[in-house]
Amino acid sequence: MRISLNHADRLGRLSIAGVSCIVLLYLALPLVVVIAISFTETEYLKFPPQGFTWRWYWKVVSDPTFVEAFVVSSQLAAAATATALLLGVPAALVFARKKFPGARAMNALFLSPLVLPTIVLGVAILQYASALGFARSFWALYVGHVVLVTPYVIRTSLASLSGMDATLEEAAQDLGATRMQAFLLITLPQIKPGVIAGALFAFINSWINVEVSIFNSTAQFVTIPVKLFNYIQFNIDPTLAAVSAVTIYIAILVVVAIDLAVGIEKAAVNTTADARS
Amino acid sequence: MRFTSVNAAALLLGPIAFFLLFFFAPFALLIGESFTRPDGGMTLANYITVLSDGYYWKALLNTLLISFWVTVVCFVLGYPLAYFTVFHVPSVWVRRGIYVLLVTPLFTSNIVRAFGWIIILGRRGIVNTSLIAIGLIESPLDLLYSKTSIVIGLSYILLPVMALSVCSVLQTVDRSLIEAARDLGARPSRAFLAVTFPLSLPGVVAGSIIVFALSVSAYVIPSILSGGREMVTPILIFQQYTATFRPDIGAALSVVLLAVTLLLIGAYLFFLERRLRVAV
Repeated sequence: MRISLNHADRLGRLSIAGVSCIVLLYLALPLVVVIAISFTETEYLKFPPQGFTWRWYWKVVSDPTFVEAFVVSSQLAAAATATALLLGVPAALVFARKKFPGARAMNALFLSPLVLPTIVLGVAILQYASALGFARSFWALYVGHVVLVTPYVIRTSLASLSGMDATLEEAAQDLGATRMQAFLLITLPQIKPGVIAGALFAFINSWINVEVSIFNSTAQFVTIPVKLFNYIQFNIDPTLAAVSAVTIYIAILVVVAIDLAVGIEKAAVNTTADARS
Repeated sequence: MRFTSVNAAALLLGPIAFFLLFFFAPFALLIGESFTRPDGGMTLANYITVLSDGYYWKALLNTLLISFWVTVVCFVLGYPLAYFTVFHVPSVWVRRGIYVLLVTPLFTSNIVRAFGWIIILGRRGIVNTSLIAIGLIESPLDLLYSKTSIVIGLSYILLPVMALSVCSVLQTVDRSLIEAARDLGARPSRAFLAVTFPLSLPGVVAGSIIVFALSVSAYVIPSILSGGREMVTPILIFQQYTATFRPDIGAALSVVLLAVTLLLIGAYLFFLERRLRVAV
């Protein structure tokens, strides 16, 4: 016989809701504060902001060092994502469709950059690139970022591939399609959302990285997060807030794109959480 | 798709080559460097330096202590949110909004999130000015640049990881078991403690280990929110390359950090295996 909820039970439900709302506020607060302060008319950080101005954004846009850092970050993230797709999708295809000894271990090794200390990867790439003569260059950043973001592509592609019906591909092959045709005409259209989500995860994780980039860039040749890291040591002003706010807008755009591609709930739980890997 | 072994090998050739060249080789070189004397010979001296010096130990213990508290805070705040999201939010749209709020911080650079906390916790920050305005304190509190601010900043960064990890397991909990407990007369709190919570433990353990591992290796947040007053291992590593120019010591410290992380991952995998065996 089910007993109805008493006061204590209702209070319990209410307090869970209360705690959750506070936690959600806690999650939003730093980002909201940064965005709000980027519009202040004062010369220093003031919250709540005074007045409303685009001045700090104009200051960023007219500062060539910030613009250059944005360009470096974009090129790097685009190149790393493209390469991650070329490496990650074929790897996921093999892991999903072919059983061979050591496949699980190999998959785990490809995913390991997700959990290994990123700062150690940064240091390792620095020493390696120094030994080979391409230290602190675009290529040093590029190889480090590819290693860093390929796991996201492998993971989302693998999730899509194991959710789709493999017999369709086999039917296409039986009807005379080559493997390439079967992949391009049957497999790719079905796993496209997962691949797009993986590419977006890859792009944004390259875009926001500090630890690998900081060891492999120079004072002149920097990505946006490293530029911010160097800037924050000496200046804490509304310009910093404006640049930071721009990166938050980009994060929001990417979240919306992922939501449209696969649904944010599915993508978040599959890609970020490790409990079921 | 049917593959011959040759096809499979061809498809894996690119990724394997890339990871061998730019992932395994750099790590191998780093590990080699940690055993190398300045003149090129083999040595354990770097490890002896790192493991016999109280300063390095203190930093490591500090790192582990901070990571412990970060994990606790993430669990205490993240679990209720995950539970609420999975079980108590009826509207798809609200749930979607919650996931957007969980993921957006994850997609923002650590540096931007740390900056947000500087604005909130600084001497002229939001917390201090509000406390002064309502007359609770007279002079601003030193909220920034302490262990506490590092724990706040890191928990903020890793909370979504914990919450999503718990969500992923709560989603798979068989709701008829909870219904059965309720039908047999259990109050919601008892049904939770006897059924839901034990079933969600894999998510909690997995989330905790990942959160702990990521906070042990965090560099940006401690470096910005410590103000130089707190030392953690990743900052020490950074200094070996940028201030003291001892890449050999830096390499040894990196390997120690790597070993701590691998031990944690090992514990995680061991736990997963055991859980699988129990499930079968």
